[in-house]
Amino acid sequence: MGAFLYAISLQWKLDIRSKTILITCYIVPLLFFAIMGEIFTSVMPESKYTLIQSMTVFGVTMGSFIGLPPSLVEIYSSDINKVYKANGVPLYLGLVLTNISAYIHLFIMSILLYITAPFFFHAEIPEHPGIYFASLTIFIAVSLCIASIIGLAIKDQAKTSMISIIVFLPSVMLSGIMFPIELLPKAFERIGKVFPASWGYKLMADHTIRFENLLPLIIILTLAICICRMLVHKIDK
Amino acid sequence: MTEAIKIKNLKKHYGSHLVLKGLNFCVQQGEIFALLGVNGAGKTTCMECLEGLRKPDSGEITINGKMGIQLQSSSLSAHLKPLEAVKLFAKWNKTPIDNTMLDALGIYELAKKRYYQLSTGQKRRLHLALALTRNPDILFLDEPTAGLDIEGRLSLHKQIRHLKAMKKTIILASHDMTEVESLCDRIAILSKGRIAFIGTVDQLNKTVGKHYNITIQTQDKIKKYECDDIEAALFPLLMQYKKTMKQF
Repeated sequence: MGAFLYAISLQWKLDIRSKTILITCYIVPLLFFAIMGEIFTSVMPESKYTLIQSMTVFGVTMGSFIGLPPSLVEIYSSDINKVYKANGVPLYLGLVLTNISAYIHLFIMSILLYITAPFFFHAEIPEHPGIYFASLTIFIAVSLCIASIIGLAIKDQAKTSMISIIVFLPSVMLSGIMFPIELLPKAFERIGKVFPASWGYKLMADHTIRFENLLPLIIILTLAICICRMLVHKIDK
Repeated sequence: MTEAIKIKNLKKHYGSHLVLKGLNFCVQQGEIFALLGVNGAGKTTCMECLEGLRKPDSGEITINGKMGIQLQSSSLSAHLKPLEAVKLFAKWNKTPIDNTMLDALGIYELAKKRYYQLSTGQKRRLHLALALTRNPDILFLDEPTAGLDIEGRLSLHKQIRHLKAMKKTIILASHDMTEVESLCDRIAILSKGRIAFIGTVDQLNKTVGKHYNITIQTQDKIKKYECDDIEAALFPLLMQYKKTMKQF
């Protein structure tokens, strides 16, 4: 257990040092929040009711889709995975450590948004913080699992960045955080439902955890975990 | 002497290409054993099968003792610091940190650097320290001095001899005959996935004889020489070039 906790703290530090996580989990989401928070609340004053949720969905999607895959490519597409084997450590440990570390970073970023949004933009704090944070927990887990598939399946850093952006953009644009989902053409609305961001946003913006919003996230999470297991097994061969 | 490693009929394919074509040999405890061969001969594949990093297609491998593996220079996270890596390995293996060993390998001098900031020689020393963190009985070194300058090579040779004095069994893959000659008790020469020769350096010299090709390159020309006695041949040659250099 001591080794596991030390490995998590080390991974957390490495993520900060590598700057990828620092930029994608903190700097860009918080800059986006500073700029878009001002614009959103000026153009649509009613957006203050969902500002925390929309900015959090953006930050979590960005941090996981753009931030996590490069760390996984570094581990699983290089000789680093031999370090695990040479020390009798299971190969999936790298996946677990990077996910836990990214999870902590994303949660910290979400808390920063939660605390500062009311102060800077008079954003409304969710009515039931317990439900909000439970929804956030599920949403971060689902987003990281999808990001893990990208990081495990693609062996090249440049291709990983390209695929991450291809998944990230529609995920954010079609989730309903930028403009109401009802304004989108029906086809785009349907495409948006494929990504966890739209369901995560609905779940976090609601006053209660509705099963119809939770179920798609659970299905995506289960599928993503199965695919990640298969990919690690394939790398192990 | 007891056998530290024994392999029987070891075979390994990559796709349709048979890389190891049924290797048989054993390594005695406390000896330095070299796998020698040109690039692509199968040295690294053989080592990785022994280390458990690759699954052989067929054959038997028996290892008697705890293994330590010196990995290649791209196997740690770029931003990891040397002492963090040592601590992590020690925790994984539930072994205490050997400060004397770290001091001897100069790891404390590298404490503030990150992995990507280390030179090739410093990385090799760190990987050796990490392999020794397990307190192994058998140590695998894959081309340990590749890319090192002469000072780095001599320093690492000294460490390897020190490990032999500590009764460690060392398996060393190399394509450098000079290195193998100065360090190893026995060698196996791999050629196209088969063992072309196995025995001591003296036995090899008796079997194939000693013959050296010397190439001396100056700014304007390259000269090639052949000889059987390098010590007798090299000194007059160097003197001749020394005179030429003085003229400039």
